[in-house]
Amino acid sequence: MSDRSGPNLISDNVAVAAPGVSRQARRAATLRGRRLRQGRVLLCQILCFVVFIGLWQWQTMTGHISAFLYGSPAGIVAALIGTIQDGSLWTDLAATALETLAGFALGNVIGTTLGLSLWYSRFVSQVLQPFILALGSIPIIALAPITIIWFGTGFASKVAMSTLSVVVVSIIIAYKGALGVDPDQINLMLSLRARRSQVFRLLVVPASMTDIFAGLKLTVGFALVGAIVGEFMSSTDGLGHEIFKSGSLYAISSVFAELAVTVILALVLSGIVARVERLLLPWRHDLS
Amino acid sequence: MQHRDLARADVPLQVHDLGKSFVSDKGEELEIIRSLSFALGRGEIVSLVGPSGCGKTTLLNLLCRLMEPSHGAVFWKGEELATVPSGIGYMLQKDLLLPWRTAIQNVMLGLQVKGGGRAQHRARANALLDQLGLSGFANHYPSTLSGGMRQRVALARTLAPEPEVLLFDEPFSALDFQTKILIERDTLQLVRELQRSLLLITHDVEEAVSLSDRVIVLSRRPCTIVSEHRIELPGDRSNLIALRESKGFAHYVRQIWTELDIR
Repeated sequence: MSDRSGPNLISDNVAVAAPGVSRQARRAATLRGRRLRQGRVLLCQILCFVVFIGLWQWQTMTGHISAFLYGSPAGIVAALIGTIQDGSLWTDLAATALETLAGFALGNVIGTTLGLSLWYSRFVSQVLQPFILALGSIPIIALAPITIIWFGTGFASKVAMSTLSVVVVSIIIAYKGALGVDPDQINLMLSLRARRSQVFRLLVVPASMTDIFAGLKLTVGFALVGAIVGEFMSSTDGLGHEIFKSGSLYAISSVFAELAVTVILALVLSGIVARVERLLLPWRHDLS
Repeated sequence: MQHRDLARADVPLQVHDLGKSFVSDKGEELEIIRSLSFALGRGEIVSLVGPSGCGKTTLLNLLCRLMEPSHGAVFWKGEELATVPSGIGYMLQKDLLLPWRTAIQNVMLGLQVKGGGRAQHRARANALLDQLGLSGFANHYPSTLSGGMRQRVALARTLAPEPEVLLFDEPFSALDFQTKILIERDTLQLVRELQRSLLLITHDVEEAVSLSDRVIVLSRRPCTIVSEHRIELPGDRSNLIALRESKGFAHYVRQIWTELDIR
């Protein structure tokens, strides 16, 4: 059916077996080979991690590296267990995750809607272009004092920071996606006497989805950074709050513990976005 | 306007003294099409053959009213339109299938734009896919189909809204010879069977001669008509391979080749 063969089919020399071996056995061998290779990559990754952590722990135990200044793996684990036991981990995690998700959703909904609707009018988009680029070049942290004045020191100001980190990138990506639609494809729609709204709905929006999802994967990280920066400025809970507090108290292991949780949160969130993409854009699997 | 008097309601497409120039940012005028006049009768297959870069795509856009002419007029059934005419099917070298739609959903695109019952659309699309030998592939995404199959899906999409006039811009030129002959045969059969008119823009002289009732030879830019040939070949016109071996065929091809100003 397909005239493209996956790269794996060629490189799998494991599959070359003696004649007479059944097709099924050969397929099983191919799969085994592939899994073996994936396993090797994972093994190396784990090994790198373990060696790094081991060296760190060893150096701090022998006193070559100050555990006070650089933290230690054992200290990090202890700090983590401490936050789990007193329950603060969950409240901080929930606070930051909620801020991030709200900012991510709000920023992308606003950004994607604006970006796509710019497709409707080349004139409006040309007028707005320098302003959008100017907004995009503002370092988000510089806006933190203003968001506190406007939105207070609570949940809203973090969501605002998170939204601001996302929205400009989201506008630009959606607009670029909409502009990237093949003009021949637009002509085809017009030759079918499609109205402009039909061209938008049936062609421009779905055609931009690939770019928009690439943007979502990118901006989920930005949203988290925005939320944490917001927490740095003023907060009562959240991972950013804990990192800032622990850093001020020279509790370096706690800082690393909170950082590790932040990294896990980022990975989980981008994992969810990738999962949703696979669910919503099923035609994309056939390409990879 | 003098063009008006020539317009006839019983002729699907008439072109009178059509011309198009573009003005570049530097203010230079670039004349793409100087003056074209021709007609496409009901049930007729006419090919426009020209050297590459002679403005064929511009012409197609003018015919579909995706672009306004600098002078002259295009009449669809005797009417000069200000919008895209209804009942045209447009097909390019690129299949232009939407990758997020399955084969059958792509075929249904034109019907969906028109509106109406979805079940009816599906039935019509299925029938066309069957006719073009793609019955098992209705739910495949374009990325999993071969080039020839994709172009067949594109053909089905073009035919689905039952256009009266087909405008094809080198639709088969990206295909290998064998696939091309098969699709050409199917196209020819469907066009003849349904009594559609076909305007085929191509630079493939053999394709033009084998498929057409008339071949119009275009000059290099600015584009004008060099000559017109009525193709009369003996025997079964649907046997495209045998046709290529007949004596008259080679004669037409040679004649058109010499008129095509290829550097």
